[in-house]
Amino acid sequence: MIDQLSPSPDSKEYNFYFGPAHAGSGNFGVKLIIEGEKVVRARSDPGYLHRGFEKLMEYRMPLQNAVLSDRICILESLNWNLIHAEAVDELMNIEVPERARYIRVIMAELSRIQSHIIWFGVFSKATGFDTGFKVAFGYRDYILDLFEMITGGRVYPAGYICPGGVRRDLPENAPDRIRKVLNKMDEMIDLEQLENSTLHSRTKGIGVLKLEDAIRLGATGPVIRGSGMRTDVRKDDPYEVYDRFDFDVPVRKEGDAYARYQIGIEELRESVKIIKQALKDLPDGDAIAPEFKKPRLNAKIPEGEVYIRNEISRGEAGMYMVSDGGTNPYRVKIRGPSFLHMIPVLEYLFKGVQIADVPAIYWSLNICPADLDR
Amino acid sequence: MDMGLIPTLFKNFFSKPMTVSFPDESIPIPNEYRGEHQYDIDKCISCGLCSKICPNRAIEMVEAPEALKDDYPKRYPKIDIGKCCFCGLCQDICPTNALTLGKNVFLSTFDSSTVIKYPITKKEE
Repeated sequence: MIDQLSPSPDSKEYNFYFGPAHAGSGNFGVKLIIEGEKVVRARSDPGYLHRGFEKLMEYRMPLQNAVLSDRICILESLNWNLIHAEAVDELMNIEVPERARYIRVIMAELSRIQSHIIWFGVFSKATGFDTGFKVAFGYRDYILDLFEMITGGRVYPAGYICPGGVRRDLPENAPDRIRKVLNKMDEMIDLEQLENSTLHSRTKGIGVLKLEDAIRLGATGPVIRGSGMRTDVRKDDPYEVYDRFDFDVPVRKEGDAYARYQIGIEELRESVKIIKQALKDLPDGDAIAPEFKKPRLNAKIPEGEVYIRNEISRGEAGMYMVSDGGTNPYRVKIRGPSFLHMIPVLEYLFKGVQIADVPAIYWSLNICPADLDR
Repeated sequence: MDMGLIPTLFKNFFSKPMTVSFPDESIPIPNEYRGEHQYDIDKCISCGLCSKICPNRAIEMVEAPEALKDDYPKRYPKIDIGKCCFCGLCQDICPTNALTLGKNVFLSTFDSSTVIKYPITKKEE
């Protein structure tokens, strides 16, 4: 299909590949048809990171799937853990302890912060600000240290948020250390807000996505909020204990790369706010439902189907799970938020832009090839 | 007047670097860390739960070498670290705490035969 897009021999157009082995694109390719310096049209070329999670999950028990669900998106594994755990909880009718719900929210928000920091890092790199990339990854490591202390792994928590609660309770000194790291994050947000004219000229008015186009193309999360729609699953359809916290949903009307970048920074502040409230109200008690304290091999999932949606840093993520009453799910369908951002939205935004704007637009969408291909 | 990056520049002149100079110093490894497996054959009751729960099928129950069959007549876990994803489910399910995940993070090797951990090491044989 991609070859059908090739320009004819006598035209002035030529092919230009952005990715799939490009340091700035992740495992994802975009084929650009260029005329001079201008992109005439673009074609997304996904599939380089396909690992077949939907099929793999049909052969594993929920506890093993929790471990697998880390890897749907490497950059925010805990959020995917949470989606999977919620789907199983609902199918199995598990009463999740109050403390576990709070820990889940704290971990999901920490994961969102580090994902947004990566976004800032790669966006800086895409717009030619290399120091931003290095500073962002330095600050992200403070959160990875927390993950290592709480879950036992820096990047992969190995199903820390599992069906029934969380696999381990927070260590005793965790709340204090989280607060310390949050202070560091405030520092990071202040650094992110240092802007200069280069950033403005590379992002303002670039890659404008109007609200009606955003709705038509199915954008969610920071992309549609950057175009002016106030929508957030945490507010619209609260899960876990999000309805108890006071936070705002940042919205901007411009719809350009700069607006989306600003949304990312403002969301960091909101996440810090949520974690501070959650730490203040953190109740005592068990961190996991009693029936899941010890892993069980014969736990059957009752017959039924469920669709869970969550707000992760890239947009709205979903998981549809069907069970026929066995120990493994019968069918799992994963909705990655990047799918619609990387195919219809990206192809639409690339039409008629300059080559130099391609990386800025690409990274302003906060996309992850891992959850597109899954 | 907007000072821009000047205050940050001065701050960074007098602050410590974010990284540590490995290998002379390294960041401390927390107690919860999931590293290399530690296996105690004398605690093991050969229930085989670890091999059943392993999501990557990295654990296989094998018999002890002929010379030690009298002491160890049952089947014991052989762990393929190359397949392991260090999730710690084997540690959680183990009823006698015979299998735990330790703190060793230095698992890179040039010798592929050392990737597989046998329940009884060659020295004991």
